[in-house]
Amino acid sequence: MSSAKGESVLLEIEDLVKVYRRGARANDGVSVRVDAGQVLGLLGHNGAGKTTLLNQVVGLVRPTSGTIRIDGRDPVADPAMARRMCSLQPQSQAPLNGITPRQAIEIMARIRGASRRRARRRADELIGALALEQWAGTVGEKLSGGVQRLTGFCMAAAEPGRVVMLDEPTNDVDPVRRKLLWAQVRALGAAGCAVVLVTHNVAEAERAVQRLVVLDKGRVMAQGTPSELRGDHADRLRLELVAADEPVARRLAEEFTGAEPAVVAGRRVAVPIEPDAATTALAWAQRERQAGRVDEFSVTPVSLEDVYIRLVGSETGASEESHDASLAA
Amino acid sequence: MRHWLRSYGLLLRWNLLRLRTSLPFLFIIQTLLSVGIVLGFSFLVPRDDPVSVLYLATGAPTVALITVGMVMAPQMVAQQKFLGLFDYQRAMPVPRLAMLAADASVWVALAVPGMVAALLVAVVRFDLSLTVSPLVVPAALLVALVTVAVGYGIGYAAKPELAGMITNVIIIIALMFSPVNYPADRLPGWLAAVHQWLPFQYLAQAMRETLDVPASGVPVLPFAVLAAWAAAGLAVTYRLMTRRA
Repeated sequence: MSSAKGESVLLEIEDLVKVYRRGARANDGVSVRVDAGQVLGLLGHNGAGKTTLLNQVVGLVRPTSGTIRIDGRDPVADPAMARRMCSLQPQSQAPLNGITPRQAIEIMARIRGASRRRARRRADELIGALALEQWAGTVGEKLSGGVQRLTGFCMAAAEPGRVVMLDEPTNDVDPVRRKLLWAQVRALGAAGCAVVLVTHNVAEAERAVQRLVVLDKGRVMAQGTPSELRGDHADRLRLELVAADEPVARRLAEEFTGAEPAVVAGRRVAVPIEPDAATTALAWAQRERQAGRVDEFSVTPVSLEDVYIRLVGSETGASEESHDASLAA
Repeated sequence: MRHWLRSYGLLLRWNLLRLRTSLPFLFIIQTLLSVGIVLGFSFLVPRDDPVSVLYLATGAPTVALITVGMVMAPQMVAQQKFLGLFDYQRAMPVPRLAMLAADASVWVALAVPGMVAALLVAVVRFDLSLTVSPLVVPAALLVALVTVAVGYGIGYAAKPELAGMITNVIIIIALMFSPVNYPADRLPGWLAAVHQWLPFQYLAQAMRETLDVPASGVPVLPFAVLAAWAAAGLAVTYRLMTRRA
C-alpha cells in the first residue's frame, strides 16, 4: 500500500454514463474525483446508481461512455488491473458458509496478494479493532448479519490495494461496532487509500467522510464537504415536537411562529428557528409540555440528512408532506 | 504462472473449507448412487447377456461422473449465485480459469470414489473380467472435464431456479434415454441420430472402451468429440465468467 497522502488523485471519473441493455440509465454524466487519503461518501436512494458506479470502477460493468482512471490507468481496458488495485465490499453479505471470519479475512488478504504473515497480522488487527474476537472462529452460518457484514468489511480492508470501495458497510451493524467500523474506514484513508463508501446513514457518514457526493437517478445532485453541502442552513436550528394527538399538533403549529412555517406530520411538528430564538422556543415548548399538550420536544442543528432529503426528495417521493418537512429545516 | 497456481491453491482451500461440512454427505450420497445404479439396473437387464452387462458395468462410472459434473456442480453454482458468492468472486484479482479449475478439482475428486466403487461392485456382481487400458485415467479425466465444463456452462448461463430443472432433465436423459447403460442400437433411429451430436454416448464410449479395450483398440473418435465438447463448455463458461454488463 502506498503511503502517499493528500493531493494526488487516485480515482478520477469523468462524465460517466451507463445505460443498461434494458434501457435503465443508471449513471448519467457522473464526474467524481477521489484523492489518496480521502474518504468519499456516496449518498442516494436505492436505484440512484451507486452500486453501478462502483462496479464500473472495479471492471465488472462496462461504461456506455465517459472515462475512469485509477491512478492514471483505465479499468475498462484492463479489468484485471482494476481488480488488483481496488478492493470491493459488495452490498450482498459475505459468503461465509462453512468458513470462519478469521479464515475468510486471511484467505481474501492472501488472494489479494498479502503474504501469509501479513494476512494473519491484518486479520488480528481488524478482528481486534472491530471487537470481533468472540466470533472469529465461528462458522458463517452461525453468525449474525452484523458480524457477517463486518467480516465482509475486513475482507476488503485486510489487503486493500489503492482504492477501497465499500457498499453499505454499516448495514445490520450494532451502534457500538458501527463507531469502531467508522474508525477503521478513516484508518484506511490515513494509510493512503482512496475510500469510496456507499451509505444511507447520512448522520454517521458526516463524521467520517471528507467529501460527499449525492446521487439521484444516476446524476450527481451535489458534491462537496459536509459543511459546503449544509451551506446557508448551517446556523439554523430545528424545533421538533411530538404532540399529544394530531389535532393538538395542528393547533401548536398555528400558534408557534418560527423562521419558516411549521410542518405537521401526524403527531410530529417541525419548525425551523433562528439560533437566537432558541431560548424562547425551548421555554414555550417546556410550558406546553407541562400543560400536557406536548409529549417530547428537541432542538437540533439542521442536519446533513435534512439537506440530503431536500436535494433528492423523500424516499417515497410522492409524499408531499415529508418533502415539506425537509424544506422546513 | 506462479500467480495462477497461488490463486488456484487459495481458491481450492476456500472451496474445501466452504464445503467441508457437506462434502462427507455428498461423498456418501454420490457413492451410494453410483453403486445403486449398477445394482438397480441389474434387475432390469438380462444378466446372462455379456453386452448388456459390459454396458451396465462401464456405464455406471460414467453416470457417476455425469451426476457430479452435470447435476451437482451446476446446482452448487446456482446456490452460490443465490448466496452472493459471485459478487465476491468476481471482484477477486485472480485468473478466471484458476477459479474454474479450483471448483472443478473438488468435483472430480468427489466423483472418483463413486466411480471406482461402482466399477468394483459391477465386476464382482457380474463376475466380469476386463481388459483395462492405462488410457482409462486420461479418459476418466476427460469425461470429468467435459461434464464439469458443460455443467458450469449451464450453472452460469441459467437462472438459479431453472438450473435445478435442467439438471433433473439431464440426469433422466443420461440414465434412461442415452446409450450409456445400453447400446445405441436399442434406441429408435431418430434418437440415436440425436445422440450423434450429444456428448453422452461419447462419454460412455471413452470409459467403456478404455476399461475393456475392444479388439480394434482404443478408438480416437470419442476423445476428439469430447475434447471439442470440453473446449466449447469451457469457452462458454469463461465467456460468462468474464462478461461485463
